[in-house]
Amino acid sequence: MRDGPGSRSQGKGLLWEALLVLAVGIGLSLAANWLSPQGLSLTADPFHGDTRPTLPLASTNALTNVVAMGTNTLSLAEQVAVRLKEKGLQVATSNEVLEVFRDPRYPHDLVVIVDARDEDNFKQGHIPGAVLFNHYYLEKHLPVLQLCQIAEKIVVYCSGGDCDDSEHAAVTLRETGVSKEKLWVYPGGMAEWSTNGLPVEIGDRRSGVLQGAKP
Amino acid sequence: MTAGPQPTSTRPALHVALVLARWIVGLMFIYMGLNKALHPVEFLKLVRQYDMVHAPLVLNLIATILPWFEVFCGLLLVLGIAVRGSALMLVGMLVPFTLIVLRRAIAIHDAGGIAFCAIKFDCGCGTGEVFICRKLVENTLLTLFSAALLRWRSRKLCLRYAVIGDR
Repeated sequence: MRDGPGSRSQGKGLLWEALLVLAVGIGLSLAANWLSPQGLSLTADPFHGDTRPTLPLASTNALTNVVAMGTNTLSLAEQVAVRLKEKGLQVATSNEVLEVFRDPRYPHDLVVIVDARDEDNFKQGHIPGAVLFNHYYLEKHLPVLQLCQIAEKIVVYCSGGDCDDSEHAAVTLRETGVSKEKLWVYPGGMAEWSTNGLPVEIGDRRSGVLQGAKP
Repeated sequence: MTAGPQPTSTRPALHVALVLARWIVGLMFIYMGLNKALHPVEFLKLVRQYDMVHAPLVLNLIATILPWFEVFCGLLLVLGIAVRGSALMLVGMLVPFTLIVLRRAIAIHDAGGIAFCAIKFDCGCGTGEVFICRKLVENTLLTLFSAALLRWRSRKLCLRYAVIGDR
């Protein structure tokens, strides 16, 4: 078997076909992203230059870590606290978030709890009265920025465990002009809040549908 | 004799196998691509975890383009348009991606001391959390099927040839 001019031209043809697929594919992909309601902004930096990723954990390990935050084993919680302090963010404990939740200013949005997860997770259950702020879609959450400018204290949370959306959301808020003195991150997040038997609101903000509160 | 794609006109069983390979690979890529395209933020976070790209623009471009590009290549395969070009692109994506997933799994294995085939994580493949050994087998099969589409040419049930003939 030897390569002839026919094989060379077929190889060339294949290459051109692949390049055409690549070019058209990239063009259509960009168009689909632009048209999609879930489309990403190409110029955004949602991780704020933070290049430190975390190793993906097996689901059982992740659960252990989340639960461990409510007990004496604080390895992951301590790591997160150190990371938050490195970024100049204040760490809120479960009790401190509860104080904010019970603060008489909370229903008037003078102290605010911010949920940094996505809308699906938010609707499945959030801290009652918390406001949704998915920082990956900043343009959809501009009213939250205004709310945070006025508020006297802001606590940001996400799922808990190795979730880092709360810290990135907090940095986004800080970059948009929210004073760092009134900005707190709750690393325990939704997992710890639920584990502590505190009430969870289902659906939209202030839907009034509550579950999970201990008597 | 030349070394181009082999004609299959005298081997009907191969025609059927190639159509099946086209559909299996195509549908898999449509499914996996759509799962990622509909949750681009989750995919963006997973791409970041590989710690290979740090520039935000490049990360965003990968998370934006790759899922839809997989859907596009999958559609081309299912419809039978530019089959060999699409197959070449898929081989070009599958081989390095499989090696990257393998490297990630080895890192987890070394860090956690978990038995290799017990390692389960979301590799950003569009199928959620999977056992790594299963993923490697799946990717190897997809690569072999794509390579077969490159090696043998079949015009059976290809929209391209149904519409424009042999040109």
